[in-house]
Amino acid sequence: MQSIYSYIKISSLLLCLGVFTVQAQKKTIEKPKDTTPEVPFFNGFTVQIDAASLVTTALIHGDSYSMEGAVQFNLKKKYYPIIEFGFAGADKISNDNVEFKTNAPFGRIGLDINLLKPKKDAKLTNNLFLAGVRLGMSNFAYSTTNLAITDDYWGNSQILNYNNQKSTKIWYEIVVGMKVEVIKHIYMGWNLRSKGLFKEDSQGNVYPWYIPGYGINTSSNWSGNYIIGYQF
Amino acid sequence: MKQILYFTLFIFFISVVSCGVDEECRKDKTVQLEVGFHKKTLNTTTNLYTNVALSVDSLTVQGLDTLGILKDSVLYKNQKKLSKISLPLNKFASESRFVIKFNDKTDTITISHTNTNEFLSLECGCLKVHTIDTVLTTGHYIDSVKIVNHSVKNNNNNAEHLQLYKNK
Repeated sequence: MQSIYSYIKISSLLLCLGVFTVQAQKKTIEKPKDTTPEVPFFNGFTVQIDAASLVTTALIHGDSYSMEGAVQFNLKKKYYPIIEFGFAGADKISNDNVEFKTNAPFGRIGLDINLLKPKKDAKLTNNLFLAGVRLGMSNFAYSTTNLAITDDYWGNSQILNYNNQKSTKIWYEIVVGMKVEVIKHIYMGWNLRSKGLFKEDSQGNVYPWYIPGYGINTSSNWSGNYIIGYQF
Repeated sequence: MKQILYFTLFIFFISVVSCGVDEECRKDKTVQLEVGFHKKTLNTTTNLYTNVALSVDSLTVQGLDTLGILKDSVLYKNQKKLSKISLPLNKFASESRFVIKFNDKTDTITISHTNTNEFLSLECGCLKVHTIDTVLTTGHYIDSVKIVNHSVKNNNNNAEHLQLYKNK
């Protein structure tokens, strides 16, 4: 699995480099006829859904599910503030039959910056190479049940159930991705997210196995989105 | 442009394939009370008592349940040259008693403790940790008991919680 991660990382980097060099070549050609028209401040917004989480949820009946959408604004064709919201949950049973359950909404706010200069020629294809940050939050209730404790020497056993535990988690994400206008007004794209929790759980407490919007509760995590959006 | 499209598709497939997580619990789910045997000897040159580990020639340890009945399962059976033992405290009672036979002398040690649930992870579940309140012992072989560490948790480098002293 590790090798796949590194492969993605390397190919992302290579792609970035590729895009930049292509851009640089074009720039030299375009330079003489550069007449820099004023870019308006507000250029509409896209409403988008994440197809990756939907497909994953539909195809793989795994331990967790997630659905999310977003509204992304286009300011000066460079700054792309975004509001993301979704609903996620998990129902996981461990090898020892310990069950974890949660269902909750989550939200993220953030900003993407388009690293490509907007095209000035008449044939407008809006390709975006975006890098940005997100601040995510989820306030959720969870249960961890059927925790068995047995005493092999003295005998006796006990089943512990922790129901309706409450938690609020805040995390950050660093996002890199692309968005391409495939048909007029319709955008498709992907992004990769590296996530980190601001505050980890203290030892000994019944901490949640899964955090809606974040994923499995580890100090750092990653995920990817596949975006389909409509530009208004 | 085509490259971007292919790469986009590649990323799509990657994002669909989710990865499995390590689900094995590799942590010890029982904590042990570590007991060391010691003796104080007088150093004639400095005229001070020094603490020396005591190796017991023959040792048998058995639990004694709340009704005062010896447990069938023997923890240490006639073990030779031991200076340290690990004992399981009762997870569901506030008192654990052990009958320890040192060579030909037998002592009963009573440890009263509180038990707390500690969550490890979904894979490992919960374990019981203990806090020692008091320790009582009969004095046939043992002269005194010292509680070094009250907190009996998942043990870091088998540090002693109790020290049993035999003063000659």
